[in-house]
Amino acid sequence: MKNRVREQRELRDWSQGDLAEKLDVSRQTVNAIETGKYDPSLPLAFRLSKVFRHPIEFLFEPGKD
Amino acid sequence: MVRISRKNHQYRVLVAMAIYVAVLLVVWPLARSAATMWLKLVYALAPVPPILYVIWLMARRVLTGDELEQRTHLIGLGVAAAVLSVYGIVSGFLAASNVWSPDWSAAALIWIFPLLIVVYTAVRAYAARRYGGVACDDTGLSKEVNFLYLATLFAVIAGYLYWRKGDPHDAGLAVGMAAGMFGCALVVTLWRRLRKQTPGE
Repeated sequence: MKNRVREQRELRDWSQGDLAEKLDVSRQTVNAIETGKYDPSLPLAFRLSKVFRHPIEFLFEPGKD
Repeated sequence: MVRISRKNHQYRVLVAMAIYVAVLLVVWPLARSAATMWLKLVYALAPVPPILYVIWLMARRVLTGDELEQRTHLIGLGVAAAVLSVYGIVSGFLAASNVWSPDWSAAALIWIFPLLIVVYTAVRAYAARRYGGVACDDTGLSKEVNFLYLATLFAVIAGYLYWRKGDPHDAGLAVGMAAGMFGCALVVTLWRRLRKQTPGE
């Protein structure tokens, strides 16, 4: 799954640690989501959507599969 | 439940395991020569409380982790359960068919928990790396420090057993473990230096 998490984070000049704190997850998890190695759960995707003020479908795009 | 830092968690586990090993080598052998049944029971079960404390620490770590951390914990525990099942069934068949002596069977039971910890830790670290990093977010003790700590612990136990003129087998085991842990610390340090020197890594 492709995502715009890193792009949106950098747009706001936040570090991974800042975003992790806002989402109440570890920096490791933010990094895994940004690099596409981990797809977040629906509740976490909603939290991302709330933090960035964008709908989930804007932040995440389905991949080839 | 408050999340404790990884370093704090590791310190607590290492201290508990140090107490466990010390009790196992110093207090537990007294069970065979204890005068009363109650004293025998106390000596025989003395190594259990540190293990229960470590299990509680592990449960706390899992419960306070985020979803990715919980997933890596689950992968580690799942694989460890599978490995332990095979270990248990193989040991059981060997013991039931008298291929192993009762002493070996008892030793096999004692090694269940250490085996679980080793497999769980290794698999969880591997799973976390697949997700792009270390097993937990906050920085813990480095591997070299962990190995050096264990080497020191086993060296102290070996020294104690030698001083008390304890079982030579136990003392030899402790010396071997200390040397092994020191060797691991050395290998990890050298490996890190080599990685630093290799460009593009």
